[in-house]
Amino acid sequence: MNVYGQVKTLKCFDYSFIRTLAGKTFNGANIFFILSMILALMPGKRIAGMEYELYLIGLLMFIEAVYLLNLILRKDEIKKRSAGDITVIVFIFVMFCELMTTKLNLMEHLLFPVPGKVVAVFINELPEFGRCLLSSLQLLGAGYTLALVTAIPLALVIGWRKRLFAAVNPMTKVLGPIPPIVYIPYAIVILPTFKCSSIFIIFVGAFWPIFINTVNGTFNIEKQIIDSAKVLNVNERTMLFEIILPGIMPSVISGATLGLVFSFILLTAAEMIGASSGLGWYVKYFSDFADYPKVVAGIIFIGIVVTAITYFFELFEKRLLNWRN
Amino acid sequence: MGKIRLEEVSFAYQQQNSMVPVIRDVNISIEDGEFVSIIGPSGCGKSTMLSLLAGLAFPCDGKILLDNKRVKGTGNERGVVFQHYSLFPWMTVRKNIIFGLRQLNDLKSKKEHEKIADTYLELVGLKDVGDNYPNQLSGGMQQRVAIARAFAMNSDILLMDEPFSAVDAKNRMGLQELLLSLWNNGKKKKTVVFVTHDVDEAIILSDRIIVMSAHTKGVKESIPVSFKRPRNRSALMRTEEYAEMRNRLVNLLFDDMLEEVDIAV
Repeated sequence: MNVYGQVKTLKCFDYSFIRTLAGKTFNGANIFFILSMILALMPGKRIAGMEYELYLIGLLMFIEAVYLLNLILRKDEIKKRSAGDITVIVFIFVMFCELMTTKLNLMEHLLFPVPGKVVAVFINELPEFGRCLLSSLQLLGAGYTLALVTAIPLALVIGWRKRLFAAVNPMTKVLGPIPPIVYIPYAIVILPTFKCSSIFIIFVGAFWPIFINTVNGTFNIEKQIIDSAKVLNVNERTMLFEIILPGIMPSVISGATLGLVFSFILLTAAEMIGASSGLGWYVKYFSDFADYPKVVAGIIFIGIVVTAITYFFELFEKRLLNWRN
Repeated sequence: MGKIRLEEVSFAYQQQNSMVPVIRDVNISIEDGEFVSIIGPSGCGKSTMLSLLAGLAFPCDGKILLDNKRVKGTGNERGVVFQHYSLFPWMTVRKNIIFGLRQLNDLKSKKEHEKIADTYLELVGLKDVGDNYPNQLSGGMQQRVAIARAFAMNSDILLMDEPFSAVDAKNRMGLQELLLSLWNNGKKKKTVVFVTHDVDEAIILSDRIIVMSAHTKGVKESIPVSFKRPRNRSALMRTEEYAEMRNRLVNLLFDDMLEEVDIAV
């Protein structure tokens, strides 16, 4: 390579390096971060809530920090770009709320709290949220686990024995679709404590999806797998729990996921109706008092909890099925 | 022990309102330690015969006797290797073999089972894949594991349903040699019933070839294969006797096909 070539390359290298750095810094998410900060600092029309601008700025910086963390930790270019896109959407949403409430005062100020205030309340109420979470998790854990340990073995046996299946399947079609919410008032009266009735409702709600999916999985398992097991002379217990259950695990997991979703819904509904603690109770209680900042903060917290639980559930599911690739 | 006898065995399955015959009045006698291949065109009922012998299905008529005792279902004295999906995909290779051993209820400890599994994995040339899952192995390797499991379970009779048909030609030869060496070197020769549609495979492996007919739904002919063992594949395939036998078998199959077509017309 001649001298002229070397010099040319060096110039190009410098230029493109700066260009890349500029491109990376001034991408969409960061631009919106700056825009939203500017918006936060501008004066607004609504007087009530102006003192919460600091909390809003804190929130914006938090979102930006999460985004930057994503950029550093993720290696995949496509994932980096989606992180950027999602962050832009979040910023737009926050800016929209801020515009509608504090800045332009277009929304009824009692019903729609200012974003900054929601952040402030959220941080303040974290201990209370923790207590409510514990209470809710107890009920959820008990009801869902009960559903799993009864539905799966029952479904395996019933799906496996043709005669039982023929007898039980029609009943399943009738009882399964009944929304468990309708049992709530009756269950509250019959069962001794509120905790009992909540656990019962959650159990019923989670039981049916797990049961139905497991039965169908058992009924439809590939004959070849069954034949391979039969020629090894397995007994019925081994056939059900060591062959069929792992063999139909995708079906079981989809049933379990549905069951989990129903559990969340029913838990919150049960708490709203008759509880004195828990996350659902929290939202209803403060809604009754028209304390909407707390209501919104509560809803956001519930969203975070559900997302976290579902995320760990999916991690567990991946581990159970790690033989598949 | 491994003596097999089929007496006037018939099997049919129900389709809508009629019974479709699969095999009719089949009589076969297999001696202890004999390697018998069953060949025939599609639809001649060879896989059905294997299911009946394995105890997965029951004959509509006639008796199947193992050492003069009627077959009542599956049993530990018979090991089976299928064409596909012999292994359980959620268990590692080693666990697949250990699982089979556990069903023998022979009171051996976990360590003893692991040792047996590893011994047979090494015998089939798969010493290092014990911790892999079946879908990480090629088709040929999976069948080797299935064979390892069958031999590890030490059954008197080995039933194989086109075990090498889904494997490429080169691996198929390797598997055939493996099967023969395991069969020859055991303490006692197992009785093997080997279903295939590959005529060369049948000649190389067996003591006797039973040709089934799709047309009569029974045994067309039973031909002893008297080539001396161990059979050198390349040398044997150049002899006139081999060509003669091969032609004979191919003609039997072809005639059967013609008869079947004739009847349809």
